[in-house]
Amino acid sequence: MIEIKDLHKHYDTAQGRIEVLKGIDLSVPEGSITAVVGPSGAGKSTLSHCISLLEKPSSGQILVDGKDLGALSGRALRAERRAIGTIFQNSALLSRLSVAENVALPLRNLGVVHHEMQQRVAQLLDRVGLLEKANAYPGQLSGGQRQRVGIARALALRPRLLLSDEATSGLDPESTHQVLGLLDSLRSDLGLSIILITHEMDVVRHVADEVAQLAGGRIAEHGALHELVASPGSATGEKLLPLRAEDLPAGFDYAVTVAYRKDRVDPGWISRLGIEHGIAVALLGGAVEAHHEGTLGRVRLGVRGTSPQDLVRLLDGWGLHADPGSLARNNRELVEANA
Amino acid sequence: MRIPFESAAVGTDTPWQQLPELMLPAYGQTWAMVGIVMALVISLGGLMGIALYNTDRQGLFPRARLHAVLSWIANMGRSLPFLVLMAAIIPFTKWVTGTTIGIAAAAVPMTIAGIPFFARLVQNALNDLPRHNLAVGLVTGGSAAQIIGTTQIREALPALASAITLNTISMIEYSAIAGTIGAGGIGYLAVTYGYQRFDMNVMLATIVVLILTVQIVQFLGDRIARALARP
Repeated sequence: MIEIKDLHKHYDTAQGRIEVLKGIDLSVPEGSITAVVGPSGAGKSTLSHCISLLEKPSSGQILVDGKDLGALSGRALRAERRAIGTIFQNSALLSRLSVAENVALPLRNLGVVHHEMQQRVAQLLDRVGLLEKANAYPGQLSGGQRQRVGIARALALRPRLLLSDEATSGLDPESTHQVLGLLDSLRSDLGLSIILITHEMDVVRHVADEVAQLAGGRIAEHGALHELVASPGSATGEKLLPLRAEDLPAGFDYAVTVAYRKDRVDPGWISRLGIEHGIAVALLGGAVEAHHEGTLGRVRLGVRGTSPQDLVRLLDGWGLHADPGSLARNNRELVEANA
Repeated sequence: MRIPFESAAVGTDTPWQQLPELMLPAYGQTWAMVGIVMALVISLGGLMGIALYNTDRQGLFPRARLHAVLSWIANMGRSLPFLVLMAAIIPFTKWVTGTTIGIAAAAVPMTIAGIPFFARLVQNALNDLPRHNLAVGLVTGGSAAQIIGTTQIREALPALASAITLNTISMIEYSAIAGTIGAGGIGYLAVTYGYQRFDMNVMLATIVVLILTVQIVQFLGDRIARALARP
């Protein structure tokens, strides 16, 4: 279990103090992936540097199994650092070391004996499916392969937490898919806690269990991914599964956003509105996404023939969430409100 | 080889047949000088370059004031033309070596000129490394020595090989200038025979030998740098 408690980070500059992180609380259970998302300037990379122990927090704790690693420095920090494996953007492999030597780097730094090191490296490369590339150099690998080597290196010391700092940015979709598949399987096979720092919502939607939205140095919204997507009023949910809906056409009274998870919803609910309740419905836009916990959907409807209150009540009975805040707004206003 | 009558008669030009006898020991002295100097320059200048890089903002132990001091020293060492530096530090040279002429006396100003030059070359080579190397060294649990060894020096080896080549060629040039204070080597030969005695043959031979030497050093340096590079 990884817990971040009331993490603050500020920098003192000639122009005065700049507060980047203003009290971050985040806990990542074992075997789960928490994505930290947010616009640039929100404090993502500072948070990442604090979690990877490259920067010391100004105050607050980074607890790994109850031990505060954020407070350590020098030799003690080097010894405890192994609890956290870091994957960097662009993999950050050393160019003059072979793939095997790159993976062995943490082991060599800690003075692991040669034959044990070789065994462990072979095991790690096998895990990421690159055993046959052991003697290649990073320059001979594709971006996705390099990132898998980076993951093997991060796993070398059997960390409790894997921190992925924009690990898939700049990768093509196929490589991204491979890397995410690997993270997904590591989560379930090794029971790793994974923190995914990213600006790519597609990535988050594919693998994250929980999502924390960072804004202005604070966590603005935090929750299970399926719950955020299934809350029609959630700004993070809207970013995760954007609707791209059309404006309300003439002849309809109002528009409404409805969100749902498939495992509790009758797929025929839209036709039931008309057939059983005489409500006219126009489908303005929708997005449905497969997630490892079930199918997530968000739909925007134009409605005529019932009051918003009655509609919300009706849908609620079917396990669908209509957002009262989304009523009677056209799509442009909705997008602006969420931005 | 035919010796031109006029020059033989005047007696200023050393006969071509005698040139190897004259030049080979001098060439050996040049290399001895450059060798000693480069050994000192690579170790001390290398240390200074690593210190310059690592005390800077992106380095392992950023110390703005120490960096500024080191930088100032490096600039000072590089601001004087070699001839001026050589003359200026004669008292120091005498204190270190007990003499002001010969190979040992030339090695002192050459080393002093070479160290800041090489330090800057090393600093530049390290500056060209990807910024993330330090983070990689730290998160993989490296000690300061391991980080400098693996993520800095080892990663920069091709650039460092080029830096050593460049520095060696500069030192060959300096050794020729040091010839003016009786340092020995082919620079001394060029000055005493070529310049003071108008010995055209020695002058020409020296020029040819220096050009060939620099070409060979550069060629070998490029080969080594290429061999050290990885795909």
